[in-house]
Amino acid sequence: MAARKARDFAAASAFLVPPALWIGVLFILPMATMALLSFWKVVDYNIVAEWTLANYERLIRPLYLGIFWRTIKLALIVTFISMIIGYPVAYFLARKTKRFRLTLLVLVILPLWTSYLVRTYAWMLILGTNGAINQTLQALGLTHEPVAWLLYSDFAVTLALVHIYVPFFILPLYAVLEKLDPRLLEAAKDLGGGRWRTFLHVTLPLSLPGIATGCLFVFIPSMGAFVTPELLGGARSIMIGSVVAQQFGVSFDYPLGSAMSLAILAIILVFATLFLRAGKPAGAA
Amino acid sequence: MIGARKSSTVLLGLWTALVLLFLFAPLLLVALFSFNNSEISVLPIREFTLRWYERLAANEAFRTALGNSLLVAGATVVLATTLGLAAATGAHRYAPRLRTAFRSGASLPMMVPHLILGIALLGFYNLAQIELSLGTVIMGHSVVAFPYVFLIVSARLVGFDSSLEEAARDLGAGPARIFWEITLPLLAPAILTAALISFTLSFDEVVVTFFTTGTDNTLPMVIWSMLRVGITPEINAIATLTVVVSCVMAGLAEVVIRRSRQTTVGKGE
Repeated sequence: MAARKARDFAAASAFLVPPALWIGVLFILPMATMALLSFWKVVDYNIVAEWTLANYERLIRPLYLGIFWRTIKLALIVTFISMIIGYPVAYFLARKTKRFRLTLLVLVILPLWTSYLVRTYAWMLILGTNGAINQTLQALGLTHEPVAWLLYSDFAVTLALVHIYVPFFILPLYAVLEKLDPRLLEAAKDLGGGRWRTFLHVTLPLSLPGIATGCLFVFIPSMGAFVTPELLGGARSIMIGSVVAQQFGVSFDYPLGSAMSLAILAIILVFATLFLRAGKPAGAA
Repeated sequence: MIGARKSSTVLLGLWTALVLLFLFAPLLLVALFSFNNSEISVLPIREFTLRWYERLAANEAFRTALGNSLLVAGATVVLATTLGLAAATGAHRYAPRLRTAFRSGASLPMMVPHLILGIALLGFYNLAQIELSLGTVIMGHSVVAFPYVFLIVSARLVGFDSSLEEAARDLGAGPARIFWEITLPLLAPAILTAALISFTLSFDEVVVTFFTTGTDNTLPMVIWSMLRVGITPEINAIATLTVVVSCVMAGLAEVVIRRSRQTTVGKGE
């Protein structure tokens, strides 16, 4: 028996130690390094290991606060639009179709396999001054000059982020809606609830956990977006991700960039808590 | 009443179709433009051509980047799949009570935006004085892909009949033998799916790569740097190629999943 226990322990270590080490060194350690750096200084483009809170003080200057606020707003708008667009799709897939369910599901998942860089780029072709939309508008005689605000604007960034992340909203919600107990819906119907009332009082509250997870999956990457705002955003629609990247690419101010990153993670954590709390199943509240 | 129900279904179906159009039209447009015989990407397309693809094939930088991308993605698959598989099976079998804790821990890298993962790695490599290269990119990608492998394999393990393993154990088989002869074959579909996803994640990754690569470029990095200069028809061709690669991977995964469903059902009967 003891021999078997020892063997099990050896086997468990063989399975668990290498991945734990790998993730520890290449994920936990870098995150810890980032936290450490955020309390250090930069002197003449060199990182100096001297403790300071200066990086965090710089964060709350109006310039950076403004960009943080803009980014949160934009990420929330993207999340909200994804919810509005995505909910009916998840509902249709889960409850209204049997025959096309698998095919449609594959079609919703497929874009997630493709490069978000390419999906961002596609919108440059569509929204540009010579893009598909402007050409159509001009051909129809609706405008004489190309509409300039389509590309390099908050509009473009929002549209592309919704395009890229809406499947992330649909899938977790679908998983919840699909598992809904049909007996509950039957019961609501038998009790004389109309379709709207059944939806509002039964389906919607029960799908809250799916909505919460979906919102989280859209909010997180939107909050840390870098590629999309960089390519589609205008000079005025800068997002915090680009500012963070600048500290590592151009300014060599790793400590400031690290402090910003930690602030982004803190914001994500706050909203994750909010979403998940709001998403507690109605019965538990 | 029945009429109203039908019409709501039709409306929802229509909405779903529109959303799918929204998801796919931009990609189709890029693909269409990649065959457009014009220097500028403008509709309507008057003449089709393959010359952008020919120009790519002759482009040394593109070929190098493609080679790098394949190398990085291949190495990522091996690393992430091995480590994710080991972690998932290990956690499932030897730490059943800690399963939730393991799952949260392993999916942590998924909750961090790639941008932050990238710069955290850059800061770490910098302090640890590790020189940036394709190797550092591979290490970063393995962290990106690891949670996906872990979650996919774990999901398969939940529906797993552990009596086979127990029987083998009672018959005196050692852990290694049980793993090779029983666990691994049963997990094959999940492992394959995980490998395909890891490949795609790495092949398309741009942000972590941006911060952790040395002088070597991968394919998305080539697109990225070309885009900063301006839109050219070659970008359409590269973009289309990467999308095709992703779709092939997704298609293969779909086949693997459907097959495994059939075999599982068959065995249950």
